[in-house]
Amino acid sequence: MNFLSEAQLKDEFGPFIAFRDAFGFIPNLLQAQRLLPRVIEAQAMLETAVRLREGAISRVQKERILLSIAADQRNTYCVALDSRVLSSLGLSDGQIGDLLNGSRQAGLSAPDFASLQFCLKLSRHAPSVCRQDIEALRTCGLEDESIFEAVVVTALAMYRCTLSLGLGPEPDFGPPKLPSTRIDQPLGPTPLGSLPDLHEAAHRKGPYVPAPYLSPKTFAPFAAVQQSRGFIPNFFRAQTLRPDLVEAQLEAMGRILLSQDALTRVQKECILLAVSAANLNSYCVAIHCDLLRGLGMPSEDGDQIAVDHHQSNLSESDAALLDFAVKLGTGDPEFSRADVVKLQTLGFTPEQVLESVVVTAFNNFANTLSMGLGIEPDFAPPPVFAGTKVHLSPAAPTPMQQRQEVVHVSGTLQDADADLVAQAQGGQLEAFEALVRRHTQLIYRTLTAILGDPIDAQDAMQDTLLSAFKHISGFQGRAKFSTWLVSIARNTAFQRLRSRKNVESLDEGEYGEDRDFRPRQVRAWQDNPEQCHSKSEMRQLVERGLLQLPAKYRVVVMLRDIEQLSADDVARQLGLSVPAVKTRLLRGRLMLREWLSPYVTATYKGAAQ
Amino acid sequence: MITCEEFFAEFADYLENHVSPEVRQELELHLSQCRVCHVLYDSSRKTVKIVSESNSFELPQDVVDPIIDRVMAKLRTKGS
Repeated sequence: MNFLSEAQLKDEFGPFIAFRDAFGFIPNLLQAQRLLPRVIEAQAMLETAVRLREGAISRVQKERILLSIAADQRNTYCVALDSRVLSSLGLSDGQIGDLLNGSRQAGLSAPDFASLQFCLKLSRHAPSVCRQDIEALRTCGLEDESIFEAVVVTALAMYRCTLSLGLGPEPDFGPPKLPSTRIDQPLGPTPLGSLPDLHEAAHRKGPYVPAPYLSPKTFAPFAAVQQSRGFIPNFFRAQTLRPDLVEAQLEAMGRILLSQDALTRVQKECILLAVSAANLNSYCVAIHCDLLRGLGMPSEDGDQIAVDHHQSNLSESDAALLDFAVKLGTGDPEFSRADVVKLQTLGFTPEQVLESVVVTAFNNFANTLSMGLGIEPDFAPPPVFAGTKVHLSPAAPTPMQQRQEVVHVSGTLQDADADLVAQAQGGQLEAFEALVRRHTQLIYRTLTAILGDPIDAQDAMQDTLLSAFKHISGFQGRAKFSTWLVSIARNTAFQRLRSRKNVESLDEGEYGEDRDFRPRQVRAWQDNPEQCHSKSEMRQLVERGLLQLPAKYRVVVMLRDIEQLSADDVARQLGLSVPAVKTRLLRGRLMLREWLSPYVTATYKGAAQ
Repeated sequence: MITCEEFFAEFADYLENHVSPEVRQELELHLSQCRVCHVLYDSSRKTVKIVSESNSFELPQDVVDPIIDRVMAKLRTKGS
């Protein structure tokens, strides 16, 4: 029996027809999602594109991957279903039995066997997959297109396994022919089984397979992503070998993640963040932290969910929701109907429970895909996230640990200011003075940027420092001290602006703002424009240019280009999403370019000849 | 070759040196053939350099010191 009750949905429901045509029946896994037809559509889209549509690898090759992973995950539902499908495609019971046993005698060619071993490795220990695994597949004769599809099929396998674990549908066929013990042979002989060289893996940029440039102008799904998110995540850019798969994923994502009829968007993003963190996926952690910030959650709260959601500010029921999702998403063998019941006891509706299962399943699709393709993060993962929630074998170091630049101790940030902060919190005034001296320019520039008036900013310095001292005991070390100081400076500046009654909002408009801004000055600049004015003249020019920018652009340009913070840090300090920061940064820079142009073009009269 | 509009869509990331090799190749091909975009890129790059090296809004030490001294004096009075 399913864990959840079912609603009525006619057999003529579009996705049902597609499945009946392909498999001859409607799998119980789909029936178990009748409460939310849109998530059935999502699964149908993914299955149609990834599993059924013709590509570089054959249908039988795909089904072999799905069955082997289902068996490896001990997923009786998928094993029963996928065995039947392979049988209908002409495989003998003996061949299917070999696959279930992970046996070499399954009559596989060397490339097929290597590919299968790779997929098993990816499904089991995604963080340990590295570029060398891909090189090994190429050496075996696999084309990039085939490798790419094998990764996506593995991701689909993880989607289906997570979904069926969470929903507990009755097998469509029985009894499953699982071997009594888990297949635990090492994943392939050398070179596949050899330990990845993590150092090298960390420094070689992904994606592992080529990703031809695809223009938003000709590929409508990219235009839509650009429009709604403000940028095209590397997750999609890395999959341009098969634009149709990108399209299917975007359609499925829209149905799973954007509706708010069951869980809220914030709840869903929290699930995606917590489960990605549990799966040690720095790509997805970074993107979901950023999305949560875009949805209005303070940086520190999102970071805390990535490190340990039990220590976050979430309500008890939302924390339980994440417990549920993490248990399911990490494939915990203890997961059972009791977990579903517990959520319902806490007040979650069957629709919400169903959606949390689907979101977790989709998360595992994305986690598997991004690790399998070695996709580079769009943004830096939160500085406190070091992949410490290791549920994998501790012997398997993760690429993520190598990628972290900051060293962390028990989930809190190693901040160069930490010692002084502790002393200042203990009441030592000298320590406080040393701290503020260290960050004077940052505070002053933040104030100037927001107030748009250097003299006013000097006045506001005193208030900022007094306020910082007053509140320093409340600083918990979840963010960097400098980030916290900037937030104090921002608050002080905003108070002043309010008293001036000409508030210039830093928040209005997220991505779409001024998209149509186009540069006007197109005369070439001199080779060394800085040489046609003295240093102090140049500085005055820049300062005047900055002061006439709208505050929201000025803040971003000053923190990025003058304070030299990374775009990720600027986003954290201002509580903006990274795409919003990038949009404003470009706009601000282009406005400054227009401003400077008359003084530095090749024909400028004062130019040195 | 990509259009100017397509070039501009990737421009922010290109300026931040944050594009994949495939995208970079397309952008640089465009730059080599489009004077307007070349000027835009060249001048934007120089703008970033000029702004970064300008030391704008750096508060001189002789302004910083009295401010901090005043604050510390206030805090000491409060504390004692």
